[in-house]
Amino acid sequence: MSDRRFKPKKKPGQSRNHVMLLTLLALLVATSFVLFMPPNESIKRGLDVQGGLSVILEAKKTDDKDPSSEEMTAARQIVERRVNLLGASEATVQVQGNNQLLVQIPGIVDQAQAVSTIGKTGVLHFVNVADLENKGAIEALESGVYVTDQEINRKLAFGDLKPNQILNANPDEQTGRVPMGIYTILDISGGGDEDSEGDSNYYQLISIDEKDYTPIFTGADITQVTVGLDNGVGPDYSVGLELNRTAAQAFKEVTTQLAPTKGKIAIVLDGAIQSAPAVQTIIGDGRVSITGNYGLKEADSLKTILQSGSLPVSLSVINAQVVGPTLGQESLMAGILVALIGLALVALYLLFFYKGIGLLTAAAVGVFAILYLGVLALLSSLGFFALSLAGIAGIVLSIGVAADSSILVLERFKEEIRMGRSVRAASQTGVWHAIKTSLDADFVTLISALALFFIAVGTVKGFGLTLAIGVVCDIITMILFKAPVVRLLAPRFIAKHPGFWGVKEDEEFALASGELNRGVANG
Amino acid sequence: MVRPFKKDIDFLSHRRIFFAISLVLILISLVAIPLRGLNYGIEFVGGSSITFTDTGDIKTEEMRSAFEEAGVENPTIQTTTDATGTKGFIVRIASTDAAETYEFVSKAAETLKLDKDAEAPMITTVGPGWGAEVTRTSLIAFLVAIALIIIYMSIRFEYKMSISAILTLFHDLIIIVGIYAVFGREITPNVIAALLTIMGYSLYDTVVVFHRISDNVSTTKNHSFITVANHSINQVIVRTINTLLTSLVPVLAMLFFGGETLKDFAFAMAIGLVLGSYSSIALASPIFALWKQREPKYKKLYKKYGEGVGVFTTADNLQD
Repeated sequence: MSDRRFKPKKKPGQSRNHVMLLTLLALLVATSFVLFMPPNESIKRGLDVQGGLSVILEAKKTDDKDPSSEEMTAARQIVERRVNLLGASEATVQVQGNNQLLVQIPGIVDQAQAVSTIGKTGVLHFVNVADLENKGAIEALESGVYVTDQEINRKLAFGDLKPNQILNANPDEQTGRVPMGIYTILDISGGGDEDSEGDSNYYQLISIDEKDYTPIFTGADITQVTVGLDNGVGPDYSVGLELNRTAAQAFKEVTTQLAPTKGKIAIVLDGAIQSAPAVQTIIGDGRVSITGNYGLKEADSLKTILQSGSLPVSLSVINAQVVGPTLGQESLMAGILVALIGLALVALYLLFFYKGIGLLTAAAVGVFAILYLGVLALLSSLGFFALSLAGIAGIVLSIGVAADSSILVLERFKEEIRMGRSVRAASQTGVWHAIKTSLDADFVTLISALALFFIAVGTVKGFGLTLAIGVVCDIITMILFKAPVVRLLAPRFIAKHPGFWGVKEDEEFALASGELNRGVANG
Repeated sequence: MVRPFKKDIDFLSHRRIFFAISLVLILISLVAIPLRGLNYGIEFVGGSSITFTDTGDIKTEEMRSAFEEAGVENPTIQTTTDATGTKGFIVRIASTDAAETYEFVSKAAETLKLDKDAEAPMITTVGPGWGAEVTRTSLIAFLVAIALIIIYMSIRFEYKMSISAILTLFHDLIIIVGIYAVFGREITPNVIAALLTIMGYSLYDTVVVFHRISDNVSTTKNHSFITVANHSINQVIVRTINTLLTSLVPVLAMLFFGGETLKDFAFAMAIGLVLGSYSSIALASPIFALWKQREPKYKKLYKKYGEGVGVFTTADNLQD
C-alpha cells in the first residue's frame, strides 16, 4: 500500500549540504546588497525614465550598400563630436546593429536643434564661387542680395514672414524653421498669394548640386576649428580653420587667383551654401580666418558646421524620443509602486493561502528581490543595463515567475504529504519534482525573453533583458534557498508543528485515504 | 473529520460547452479582425506620438484644434487619466520627421498655453525605415521563440501533447488578436513582447497538465482515460489558479497604476494570462484526452467504462 511507503534514510551529510548552500546564498545576498545600495544611484536609468533625448540614426552609403564597421566608427566619432558641441556632457553615441547609431542625451535639450544638428549628413565642401555652374547662386552671392537662415527664422518668429513665403525649403517649410543655408529673394509683387498680406518677398533656398562644382577641399581636410574674437579684440567673433597640407596648397592657389578681385569662396554643407566669405589675401599656410560680423552664437554655429567634417556615410533620423524629466520621474515612481504593490500582494497571498510555509515563500520573494537588484546594479555598473519602462514591465512579470516556482514547490510538497509521504520524505522528493517542473517552465520563459533581447529591436530589448535576469535569479533562489530551507525545516519544525506550517490538513487527508484504501483492499 | 476525497470537479463533461465558447470567440474574432481592422502603433507604421500629462481642463477638441492650427492634418487624440486622476492626452500624428514634430508640438503647446518646461510632453517619432525593422524583428523574435519552445517541448514531451498545446496556442492568439480588433487597442512592439512571453508561459502550463495526466494514467488501471484526465486537472487546478492569481495581481497593479507604456504591457499580459489558463483546462486538456482515448491501449478502458467522466475513487497514484 502506498501509505508511508517511502521511509527516508537519513543521510548524515545532507543537512551539512543544505547549510553550505544557504551560506553560499547568504554571501550572494550580502554581495548583492552592497552592490545595489543605494538603489537610486547604483542602477542607471534609461532615457525614458530619466528624461532626455534619444535618437536612432540610420547610416547609408551613396551606393545603398551597408557601411563597413570602420565607416560606422568614423560616423560615430563625428556624431559624438557634434553631440558634444551641443553642450551635452553625459551624452553617449553607440553603434547599434550594422548600420545604426543610437544617440542618447540625458536632461533637457533643445530637441529641434539637437535633432537637426545630429542628423545633418554633413558633406562639407569649399567651392570657388566663380566655378559654380549655377547662375542664380552666383548672381545672388556676387550681388549680396541674399539672406541667411538665421534671418529668416528670426523673421518667422516675429511673424514678419509667412512659412508659405519660403520656397524650396523642404521638409521644414510647414514648421517655419528653415534649413541652414542662404536664400535668394524673389520679388513677386502683385500676383502673390492672398495669404502673404502685402509682403511680396519670397525667399528661396539656394541649393546646388554636387555635379555643379569641384570643391577646393572638403571638411575632411580640416584639422582644427577654433572660435575667437575678431583680430583678438572683438566685438565680433571669427572662426579659424587649419587645413592639412594638400588642402593648404590647393587653397593657396585659389586665393592667389581670387585675392585681387576679392572673389568669394562658398562653404557648402549638404548642397546648401552656408556662407560665402570674400578672399581678402592670399593664404598660403593653411590657416584660414573667416570673419563677417559674427556674434558668438553665429560663430559657434559655423564652427559646428565646419567640424562636421565629411561623413563617410549619410545619416537619417529613423527614431527619436524625447521625455521630460518630470514625466520620466513620475513613470519611474509609478513603476516602483507597481512592483512593490505586486510583491506585497503576492507575499500576502502566499501567506494567507499556505500559512506557515507561506512564510518561507515570502522570505524567498525577499531573497529573490535582493539578488535581482544586485544583478541589475552589477550589470548597470558594467554599462550593460539601464532601467527603462519596458524593463520595469519585465521586472513586474518576473515577480509572477518567482511566485510560480514557489507555488510549485509548496503544492508539490503538500500533495506528496496528501499521498501519504512523511513530511521529511515529501520535502525531499516533492521539492525535487517541483524544481524539475520549475526549471522547465523557467526555460520556456527564458527562450522568449532571450529571443526578444537578441532578435527584436527597440524598447522590448529592455523587457527581454530584465525578464531573463529575473528568471535566472528565480532559479538561483530555488536551488540555494527554497530547496535547502524546506528540507532543513521539514524534519525539525514542519513535522512537529503541522498546524502552524499549514500541512495538518494534508496529513489528515493522507491518513483518512490510507484507511479507506485499506478498507477497500480488505473488504 | 476531513473528507478523504475532495470530490473532483467535473470539467471534462462540460467540454462541449467549452468548445462552443471557444468556437464563438474565434468566430467573433475572425469577423472582427477584417471588419474593424487592427490599430498598429507608430512603431510599426511610422509617425509621431506625443504624450501630454497634467493638462488640467483642456478638452479634446481644444487639443485637436491646437494641432490643426499648427499645421497637422488629422491628429488622433486620446485622453488618459493616471492613478492619481491627473488628466493627459496622447496625440498621434503622421509626421515621421522629428524636427518637424517638435515644431508642431511647441506651436500647439503655445496655443494651449501649456508651460513648456514644467509639463514637457514625451515625443516619440518613428521613421518608416525603423517601423519596417521593428515589424520584421518582432515577427522574427516571435516566430523563433515559438518554434524553439515547440521544439523543446517536442523533445521533452510526447508529440500529441505538443500538437494539442500548439492548437490551443493558435486558438488563444486568434482570440487575443480579435480582442485587440474589437477594442481597437493599439498594437505596439510591447504588446507583441508581452504576448510572446505569456504565450510561452501558458504553453508550458498546458504541458504541466498533460504531464500529470500521463503520470496518472500509467499508474491507474480501473478508470477511463478521460476520468484520469479530469482527476489530473483537479490535482493541478490549485496550482493553476494560484499561479494565475499571483502573476495577475502584479500585472493588474501595473494596469491600474502604471503609465501608458506599462499599461500596454499589462493589458496584453492580463488577457494572455486569463485566456491561457482557461484554455489549458477547457480546451487543451479535452483535446488531448479525446485524442489519447483513441489509442488501442486506452480504447479498452473506454469501452469498459463508457464515455462519461467517472468519479475518481482512489488516492493510490503516487508517482516518483
